[in-house]
Amino acid sequence: MVNPVLLIAVPLGLAFALPLFGLISKRIVKYIPVVAFIFNFALALRLIPDVLKQAIVVEIGGFPPPFGINLVAGPVGVLFSALIALAGLLVAVYALAYITEGPKEKYHMLYLLLLAGATGVVLTGDIFNLFVFFEILCISSYALVAYIGDRAGIESAIKYLIQGAVGSSFLLIGIGLLYGLFGTLNMADLAQQIESASSISVFVPMVLIITGLGVEAAIFPLNAWLPDAHSSAPSSISAILSGIAIEVGLYAVVRVLFTIFGATNMFMFFAFLGVLTLLIGEMCAFAQNNIKRMLAYSSIGQMGLIVFAMAIATSYALTGGLFQLVSHTLGKGLLFLTAGYMIYRSGSMEISAFEGMGKRMPLTSLAFTIGAFSLVGLPPFVGFPSKFLIVRAALAKEEILFTVLIGLVLLGTVIEGAYFFRVVQVLYFKKANGNSERKDAPVAGLIPMVVFVAFILVMGIYPQLVIEVLNSAASELLHRMEYIRSVLG
Amino acid sequence: MRAIISLFLISVLAWGIATALNEIPFGAAKTKVGEYYIGRGKEQTGASNIVTSVVVNYRGFDTLGEVTVLFVAAIGLGAVLATRRKKEKRDVEPASLVLYTGCRLLFPLILLFGAYIFIHGHLTPGGGFQGGAVVASAFVLVYLGCRGRRISETASKTVESLGGLVFIVVGLVGLAVGGGYFLSNYLPKGELNSLFSAGIIPIIYIAIGFKVGSELAGVIDHLVEESE
Repeated sequence: MVNPVLLIAVPLGLAFALPLFGLISKRIVKYIPVVAFIFNFALALRLIPDVLKQAIVVEIGGFPPPFGINLVAGPVGVLFSALIALAGLLVAVYALAYITEGPKEKYHMLYLLLLAGATGVVLTGDIFNLFVFFEILCISSYALVAYIGDRAGIESAIKYLIQGAVGSSFLLIGIGLLYGLFGTLNMADLAQQIESASSISVFVPMVLIITGLGVEAAIFPLNAWLPDAHSSAPSSISAILSGIAIEVGLYAVVRVLFTIFGATNMFMFFAFLGVLTLLIGEMCAFAQNNIKRMLAYSSIGQMGLIVFAMAIATSYALTGGLFQLVSHTLGKGLLFLTAGYMIYRSGSMEISAFEGMGKRMPLTSLAFTIGAFSLVGLPPFVGFPSKFLIVRAALAKEEILFTVLIGLVLLGTVIEGAYFFRVVQVLYFKKANGNSERKDAPVAGLIPMVVFVAFILVMGIYPQLVIEVLNSAASELLHRMEYIRSVLG
Repeated sequence: MRAIISLFLISVLAWGIATALNEIPFGAAKTKVGEYYIGRGKEQTGASNIVTSVVVNYRGFDTLGEVTVLFVAAIGLGAVLATRRKKEKRDVEPASLVLYTGCRLLFPLILLFGAYIFIHGHLTPGGGFQGGAVVASAFVLVYLGCRGRRISETASKTVESLGGLVFIVVGLVGLAVGGGYFLSNYLPKGELNSLFSAGIIPIIYIAIGFKVGSELAGVIDHLVEESE
């Protein structure tokens, strides 16, 4: 059997080795992330049948938990690893042609490390180890946001750095308090002992940890950094930040709430917070004229929707929430990649500059339209089954409150539809003034777009392909006793 | 108004942490995990320095992560500064004779001391990170005293990469021969308290020492370049 630790060790090792490859030839450097994520994606797919039967617990160094560090490759971990590897692979292919300036070697190293950190966060079963990988993820994002090196990039990276660092400190203090209470850092061991402590001494670390992780997960009101950071990063990095980084942050919040604290009494609060995040995100997105800022605010809205789905905390709702997460990664990844070349061609991030793009870059525009329709939730794209599951789960609760909240969510979707259709209208139904030469994105840019579109269509038409994995991932999150048993035996 | 809100938030935070701390028995009794390390650390890892056995062996995966965090920070700094070079050179005033001679005298001694700290990480207090920081301090001295001298960027990058690779490869070999565990201590443990003991621990600490030393020296190099 293959060992899930390779999902972390191989990208890390390749990132360390990248300067050595660079000494041999400057040209092969950019292919290394592609190779790493082909390997990771294949490995994650190979692991899925095994983990559906039983979660794989990997003891690092051969010490049994809670004495050593362990990885838990359950359905959730492997689902996320596969998603990270897929998005990582496609965006790495995109970067082959897109990243042409700046310290390219450092870009590829940071890119590999960012995603290795993300994979570590979703696989680890130790809360301090989670913090360490979380730091790898965050610090490489700070640097990549500033990659272009213009004023806006540096300014937003510093904003992101300050808020992220405060968040990380909260997280660390919270972990310290938990360690003081229970004398262990193993997540399963913590989960087992959590009920034995008084409520206030558990509540304070929980608030600190959730606040710290919430900064990266872009939950309102901790998301002030996001629109700037996502819009001034290179588009390939925006795709990863929106498609992977905040999702991983949200994973960490969900894992801590569901598995460690089993905090069922907090879910009502998170349902409200989710809807609030959703409405604020969508309304701000509606007001934007800058395409990347619009997409960034739309990510906040989507995160709100996922938080809401998770907070319903039924098996249906969790499946829907995880599905929405997958569909957001695919949709938003595609949107940022297409927007990258449209901005490159028009030389502006203003939506009005995209007039007539439907003729100038037909394939790219079509891909953008599909991504937009999928995010809004139109059939036959993947956004439809995922949103549908969430709506059904909320109605199945049969509580007035959830019916009202899902009404607000649908209102958010209407706003989302409005601003995405506005862009699509500009693409296709406005005449281009001036240059209307037809020239699409380069092949290395088109391939990932086509693959994203293929995934969006196939999963939209055959949701049953992924539903089994999503179901067992949802049940891993819901049944914390199972998790504890699989780790501690 | 902003000040009042901030003050309010900070006092809520302080109150929360204080209440929690009040109930948490920090330092009271040794924890289950701590007791296990103290009781069985020497026998299981072969390192007479228990802190090292925890850092490199029991929680070696964290250390791999921490090495990576430093690595990310160093490259990130390099990437950010690389985009804003191209400044005109300012004339640098040479250091005085006393400083110059002192640096040349101390440089090898500091390197030796740093190497001593990371090679003896499994026996005495200190280890790869500390030794690496001492090594890097020798380079700070060179930049202060022998202005105009530079470390070779290729050399520091190569050492950095090799250090990281050794860590990963030692870990991966464990998958093949160490009972299938990443980072398991599969080498002979040797005699307690001797230099050649504790299996993979000294190898990893030496790799970390080189890596941290070259990394921090690289950071200093970037910053010196920026300030000129």
